[in-house]
Amino acid sequence: MLVSMKWLRELVAVDLPVPELVDLLDMTGTKVEAVEVTGNALEGVVVGHILTKDRHPDAETLWVTTVDVGAAEPLQIVCGAQNFDAGDKVPVAVVGTTLPNGMTIKKAKLRGVASEGMNCSATELGVGGDASGLLILPADAPVGEPFSLYWDLADTVLELEITPNRPDCLSVAGVAREVGAVTGKPASWPGSTPDESGAPVAGSVTVRIDDPDLCPRYTARLIRGVKIGPSPEWLARKVASCGARSISNIVDITNYVMFELGQPLHAFDLATIAPGGGRADITVRTAKPGERLTTLDGAVRQLAEDTLLITDPTGPIALAGVMGGDATEVTDSTVDILLESACFDPASISRTSRRLGLFSEASQRFERGVDPNGCAAACDRAAQLIAQLGGGTVAPGIVDTYPEIVPPRKLALRMVRVNGILGADLDVGTVAGILTRLGLTVTTGSGDGDDGAVLSVTVPTFRPDLEREIDLIEEVVRVHGMENVPSTLPGGRGRIGGLIPQQRRRARAGAALRAAGLNEAITWSFSDPADVERIGWTFGPGELPVELLNPMSEEQALMRFTTLPGLVRAVANNQRKGVVDVHLYEIGSVWWTAEGRKLPKEREVLSGALAGSWDRPGWLDTEPMLDFFDGKGVLTSLMEAMGIERWRVHAADRAWLQAGRSAEVLVGGDVVGWLGEVHPKVLDAYEATGPVTVFELFAAPIIKAAREAQPFADIPRHPSVKVDMAIVVGEDIVAERVERAITSAGGTLLESVRLFDVYRGKGVEAGKKSLAFSLTYRGEDRTLTDEEVASAHDKVVRKVTAAVGGELRG
Amino acid sequence: MSIVDDLQQLRADAATAIAGAEDLAQLDVVRVAYLGKKGSLTSVLRGLGALSAEERPAVGKVSNEVRQALEAAIDLRRADLSSAALDARVLAEAVDVTLPGRRRAPGTSHLITRTVDEIVEIFTGLGYKVAEGPDVELDYYNFTALNTPADHPARTPSDTFYVRDLTGEATAVAGESDVLLRTQTSPVQVRTMESTKPPIYILSPGKVYRRDIADPSHLPQFTQIEGLVIDEGITFGDLKGTLEHVCREIFGPERKVRLRPHFFPFTEPSAEVDVSCGMCGGGGCRMCKGSGWLEILGCGMVDPNVFGYVGIDPERYSGFAFGMGAERIAALKYDIPDLRHFIESDMRFLRQF
Ligand SMILES: [Zn+2]
Repeated sequence: MLVSMKWLRELVAVDLPVPELVDLLDMTGTKVEAVEVTGNALEGVVVGHILTKDRHPDAETLWVTTVDVGAAEPLQIVCGAQNFDAGDKVPVAVVGTTLPNGMTIKKAKLRGVASEGMNCSATELGVGGDASGLLILPADAPVGEPFSLYWDLADTVLELEITPNRPDCLSVAGVAREVGAVTGKPASWPGSTPDESGAPVAGSVTVRIDDPDLCPRYTARLIRGVKIGPSPEWLARKVASCGARSISNIVDITNYVMFELGQPLHAFDLATIAPGGGRADITVRTAKPGERLTTLDGAVRQLAEDTLLITDPTGPIALAGVMGGDATEVTDSTVDILLESACFDPASISRTSRRLGLFSEASQRFERGVDPNGCAAACDRAAQLIAQLGGGTVAPGIVDTYPEIVPPRKLALRMVRVNGILGADLDVGTVAGILTRLGLTVTTGSGDGDDGAVLSVTVPTFRPDLEREIDLIEEVVRVHGMENVPSTLPGGRGRIGGLIPQQRRRARAGAALRAAGLNEAITWSFSDPADVERIGWTFGPGELPVELLNPMSEEQALMRFTTLPGLVRAVANNQRKGVVDVHLYEIGSVWWTAEGRKLPKEREVLSGALAGSWDRPGWLDTEPMLDFFDGKGVLTSLMEAMGIERWRVHAADRAWLQAGRSAEVLVGGDVVGWLGEVHPKVLDAYEATGPVTVFELFAAPIIKAAREAQPFADIPRHPSVKVDMAIVVGEDIVAERVERAITSAGGTLLESVRLFDVYRGKGVEAGKKSLAFSLTYRGEDRTLTDEEVASAHDKVVRKVTAAVGGELRG
Repeated sequence: MSIVDDLQQLRADAATAIAGAEDLAQLDVVRVAYLGKKGSLTSVLRGLGALSAEERPAVGKVSNEVRQALEAAIDLRRADLSSAALDARVLAEAVDVTLPGRRRAPGTSHLITRTVDEIVEIFTGLGYKVAEGPDVELDYYNFTALNTPADHPARTPSDTFYVRDLTGEATAVAGESDVLLRTQTSPVQVRTMESTKPPIYILSPGKVYRRDIADPSHLPQFTQIEGLVIDEGITFGDLKGTLEHVCREIFGPERKVRLRPHFFPFTEPSAEVDVSCGMCGGGGCRMCKGSGWLEILGCGMVDPNVFGYVGIDPERYSGFAFGMGAERIAALKYDIPDLRHFIESDMRFLRQF
């Protein structure tokens, strides 16, 4: 909403400087988005007073003047005009001023006499056509005042953000009323009574409303004998200040009254509705099947059946509240005008303008809601202006179809509630004063004192947003000033803040992944339907991906069912930019659904991706490329931090992982996710360079299995004995199996087992490998003897070789 | 020559040899040569047995003296040589201390997570719990129960993502389905109000989605942090005091905070909260678009209609709610010019925070 300060000041006596007014509006809920100074500012041109006028000593046509421009010393100005006398007030351009014609005023000598400025004509200032002499100003023009201000050229236009609950502020008069309320100055509401003559409107126009819910009120006036022409300058200037283009006197008047009062108007050429001086019979109704209308932008509109229309007996003549029809538009040859000022249902107008993609100043106002009790006054004002500026006559009477008068609303406002909600200590006078300034009527009803009092408030129909007591309380705090409410903190008893255990454990998982060297990423929750094929994803029996009905793009049409594509894309993006060491983790949701489900299943996952090295080879040594075992190491750190001992991985294929380097992750015997190196084909599909190691685990089972605190384990007091053994086994025997056999054979004396070497090659027959373990024996309560260790170790060797079919390596 | 003379000669020879040893290894060779089991002194002493009982004590005394003297000389020489060897080693092991350190860099939290965590910490300190809920929600929880009119533009498919409903039910909401991606985390608040009796003090951070094209100041997927308080006697002053405290905790104690009246369907009275611009201190600059203020959150007293939807008595309880965007707060706090950095997972961005 654009509001000209000049126009605003006509309606309310704002004496605040603009920046202060802007602050006040901001702080009372009418946000000022921008302040623009418009008009020809003519900086440097001021009102001057000619003190003396003497002939130039060397030039007969020139005068030497001294001019008071409000400065300490009068200026000496040489001047060639003849139409002035000493004592006249004239506009003076001081040194440094650039005039609209491009001329810049400099100190100069004219025929040997110094001149320090220029006395100006109207043409030189671009404000009129008289070039024959100086522009002589009225005698009371204040000396030194900027000419643009005095001549009313400059304007300041405020761009206001009007919230959807305030349709009453979509007009200059409405904003003036609001400004009046917040500044405490009275505001006026413009109105006119038309001079009527000729045959009454009643015989020429009838209006019928089919559905008063969609059109609560329709008023119309008839103006005869109009001459269409250009608008006078003041009117053109005013509609321009609201962002509209000046078109013709009639169109400009309908726009002017809409901007001024907030009531959209429409002018029909009566002859097109009632040819040959007949009667115009208007019906407001919804469209019939198959109806069409050519709107005044020339487009042929196919009308949906709930479109509200203005019609005559031949069919639609306008889209109610949205756009007029081409055939009934006012043209240069229009003589008689039918002027419409009506109120339409906001939802109906909103549907029509959205459906047709037509958004106008009018539809925008109807969508927010216009005051049904304001239609007739706006109609009167516009009719009077048309008669005045278009030279026509207003037919006596107004057609006013208003089936059910909308009364003002009555609300009770409890003072105890006002102060209770606000945490303030306002008295009845303050509250009643604020509401009264907003145009509401307040009477003190029942109850006593500032807290016991209940105010009875009558809300005029231009404030449809004030429906409840709480709405009035909002008005009170808004105008009173939120900065004037004392700041406190809630004092509620018996509340305890903090994270719940699951949230703390999730945070712990994140911390563990960071400690392991991974950086947190947030990738899109969306997925490309093509990802399913790219990674070879298979949904479980009956499971379906979650589909968006209106995605931003086809590549984001699903909710992600795994974070894998997002992470591999992130790796590829980094690699493309030359960043090859990529260590990422994400904690986020994945989704899937099933036939018959409304809400999908949503599960949180912990996932990660590793590529490159931990650190680029530096001056010290080279870092190996990250692979499966770095991923497994990350998971080991994670599980350790979560206090989960019962976890393991076993070899298992996943379509998106390289076979033989992929595994399932189990916690407490249940599969919770997978780990492995991304399959080269998948890497190709995402243009990533391998190896890229990835994992994805469901968060819930990990958070559930996590332990809050580990019990203390005693620090060993007796010395340990380390014995190494290397065992040769078939390639099909996994290390975990051998390790388990050792652990189970070692009994209580075996404290720990650690795999320290895997060897294939010379000395080990093909198809086999040698696994070297370091076994630590220790007695809990005594120092073990050599014999005890030897016997325990012999037992381990015997049982393990038998269990896994291996033999000791010599 | 007497044995005593031999011993004196041996002592002199040994002293020369000890002095001539250039390192610890040579010194050890000298030691073994004179004092070892097969050494010269040892063999001289072995010859003592052949001496008469009268001669023996004198010779024994001298030989002991010689042994002690040699041992002392060797120890002295060893100390000298050790010290020199250590000096040499220290010299050889000197490094260029300006070379980079060796480390495995720990990872980082995403700046959004970090921002959320900081704000969560402020609110848990004020006695709030953290409530969470699903990203895919029902229209009822995201809009209807929050007093959003049926024809509100936010409900249109051009603003909100709708999800295919597989129940086959026909719906009469603005989208073709009443299942959607939440546009705010307020559904969590509604669910909490449904399931929990007041007092309620919760913070609900989470991902939200709106159909905006990703550009420097918009993302279709971003992070909202919303809060809700419902208790007896909660006032607008409590809302104001809480948010003033929180804004200063986030942005610094020197910043000014103001509440500006605004409109939201689910709160009444409603306000937007501005923090004085940190770049210009309130004078106006590029960052604050000349106003001196940065808009950072929306808030208000819970609308009685919302209480109606969740069955809380608005005469007994009152409350406030607020919401802020984590991306915007992080961008303002760290002067990040383009929100798309948050979603691009560029290691060079992630590692900065
Ligand atoms: Zn600034």
